[in-house]
Amino acid sequence: MFIDLEKTERNLLVSYAMKSKIKKIINNMNLSRVRFWIQLFSFVLFVYGGYFAIDLGSKLPIFTCPYNEQSGATCYLIPLQHQLSMPAQILLGGAGISVIVGLVTFLFWFIFLNKAWCGYVCPFGTFQDWLTSLRKSMGIRYSTYTQNQFERLSKIKYVLLAIVLLAPLLMGVGALGSEWSAAFCQICPARIISPMFSGDLSQWKIDFSTKTSMILTAIGMIFAGLFLVGSFIKKRFFCFFCPMSALHFIFSKFSIVQLTKDGSKCSTCGDCYAVCDMQIKDIADDVKSTNILRDDCILCLKCVAACPENDALHFDIFKIRAFSSTREGFEKRMGLHKPKGDSGE
Amino acid sequence: MSSMHEHKIETPNEKQNRHKAMESVNVLNTLKEGFKTPPKAMDYFYNLFEDVYCNQKALHKDKVKVGTMCIQIPSEIIYALDGVPIRLCNGFYTDDEIGSDFLPQKACPLVKASVGHLSSKNLTDKPDMIYSPTTCDQKTKAGTLIASFGYEVVDVDFPRTKESEISREFFRRSIREFSADLSQKMGKKLSRKNLKASISKIGYAQSLYHQISEFRKNKIVPILGNDIFLVTNAFFFDKIDNWIEATEKLVEELEQRVKDEVNAAGKISPRIVYTGSPPIFPNYKIPLIIEDSDGIIVADETCSSNRMFNDRVAVDEWFVNDMIDSLADKYLKACTCPVFSKNDDRIRRIVELVRSHNADGVIYQAFAGCTVYELEQRSVLEAMEREGISILYIESDYSPSQHGQLSTRVEAFIESLKIKNRNKK
Repeated sequence: MFIDLEKTERNLLVSYAMKSKIKKIINNMNLSRVRFWIQLFSFVLFVYGGYFAIDLGSKLPIFTCPYNEQSGATCYLIPLQHQLSMPAQILLGGAGISVIVGLVTFLFWFIFLNKAWCGYVCPFGTFQDWLTSLRKSMGIRYSTYTQNQFERLSKIKYVLLAIVLLAPLLMGVGALGSEWSAAFCQICPARIISPMFSGDLSQWKIDFSTKTSMILTAIGMIFAGLFLVGSFIKKRFFCFFCPMSALHFIFSKFSIVQLTKDGSKCSTCGDCYAVCDMQIKDIADDVKSTNILRDDCILCLKCVAACPENDALHFDIFKIRAFSSTREGFEKRMGLHKPKGDSGE
Repeated sequence: MSSMHEHKIETPNEKQNRHKAMESVNVLNTLKEGFKTPPKAMDYFYNLFEDVYCNQKALHKDKVKVGTMCIQIPSEIIYALDGVPIRLCNGFYTDDEIGSDFLPQKACPLVKASVGHLSSKNLTDKPDMIYSPTTCDQKTKAGTLIASFGYEVVDVDFPRTKESEISREFFRRSIREFSADLSQKMGKKLSRKNLKASISKIGYAQSLYHQISEFRKNKIVPILGNDIFLVTNAFFFDKIDNWIEATEKLVEELEQRVKDEVNAAGKISPRIVYTGSPPIFPNYKIPLIIEDSDGIIVADETCSSNRMFNDRVAVDEWFVNDMIDSLADKYLKACTCPVFSKNDDRIRRIVELVRSHNADGVIYQAFAGCTVYELEQRSVLEAMEREGISILYIESDYSPSQHGQLSTRVEAFIESLKIKNRNKK
């Protein structure tokens, strides 16, 4: 009896030690390296999946654009717009079910990663990070918005989401012509840029078939140009305006993964804000909210990695801390080692 | 024969040195002999203070010395430009008395002592220039006064609120100006390499402090709070590489002490978090009374200790301007100085320290004349009451006179904490 008890106790202790060891390894990880490889893998999967006959369906919560023929899946905004553009009587009849099924499939994907789809999987996001690396290697400093600009520009993504939803609906009731189907795709820079990844430059053109198409595709060209320039000088330039990001945010509370903050441990030092690609101020200044995921967040977790306070910020899966800010992890990642020689190497 | 009759009259500077040496020896002897045996690694710090304050030893003869009037001047930038930061905040009663000639009777003793020390021109490591952040009224005005003694003093604009975006931008710009000014004076440019190196050096020094803090969270506390004040105080003026080496040794020894269960305090000594006006050597009056009365200081929230080491710098891209901005944010946004309009951050820090260090109570000292700490007293007391944390508020100054009355109050508080702990069991 006693021996058994001792044994279970020892086993418990061993498993506890194992657990804390694994935790330590995760919390001390080099996040930027881990993220780079996940992003590279996802990029290949979604941009070149077609070569490997991979098709993950058409309800993905990321900009994996089928205008690129080799893409391994389709962005949900495409079927969504198509479904909503059906004539009103059909949409309100049986076809409404397909909209719901589509949304449920989208949500099924979405709840697993929440906005980490943006920070880790979206090939369009990854591409922007690579443009950032290019800029960095050229020794050019990034630019930022002022707080006023930030607040004003931050609303654009909801305007774009409204275009995604309303343009097809208005077409369905006959208020707009058929060239308005997938109106957002016409102006979306991903339609023009994604095919370039497999060598297809054919989307760089203006469609002169109708006046509306001409205007929409011309805007698309301008956006694509802005995208390339913008994401070179500003980190994650497009994500700030992305309607998918707006759509994510509506459902973000239902996800199994969350970004959480313990304000009592926060010193508002601003380290998390300093590394935030999206310039989210709340991450540093809000010490009251527990759920600190904001609409612009791409859940890249750089803030957690840059936070020097134990457990002040953490990434939770099913409310269990999967990745926490720790002092030790911070020191490792920031390279705070014992200095060699005299001051100033 | 005649030399025997020669009388040498002590000069004012010699008198000042003698008095300061007496103050120093008093405190150092108490630390060395008044308590249980201190860690061996503390000898470095005892000797350092003796060398500097009793024997007038200069530490940085061949270096450009950059005096700072407050904590908010980033030492990372000074080190990167090959200067040595010397924090001029002063704790000597001797200097306080000299300073009384220049400032109102009711002014803060710390400011009076700093002014008095500089007015005497009797400094072992005399600063080549002084940067004065416009923090509290008295420090701000002291800058101008010190300039009138012939020092080169540069004001560094510091905002009095920190929540607004304007204040962030304001201080970022202020620190950029400071960097440019110092860079010009030193004839050296800030580079990615030298600034990154000094940020990681200070970061490493901070990590040593944090390791010591971990030991102080233990049930058995391996070191006195007074010794820690001495260690952090040495960071004001010591050669940073020597400080790092000595503190590494201390960390090692404390780790062993924790394993061997060596307790610096008694078995039932109440655990105290210390906050308020900073104890600066040799003004360890209140901390010494606390640990003399069987309390043990396990943590502090002061600008002479915790606040220098607590907050870190993070950068996304290691460009000079990013580093400067992040430094500015750290020195403003994380600062818990009472000069700011709101003090929520300071209260949260105190509560967090009490919880993480399992403290039994808080002792809050304000120097008589340190208006901002006196003003915040009420809100901190209210917050502690809400949180159910015992707190004692004391007003004191640098004079050695009111010892008896102060120790009676501290003893009574610590006794009450003991009774509370006994009743809990």
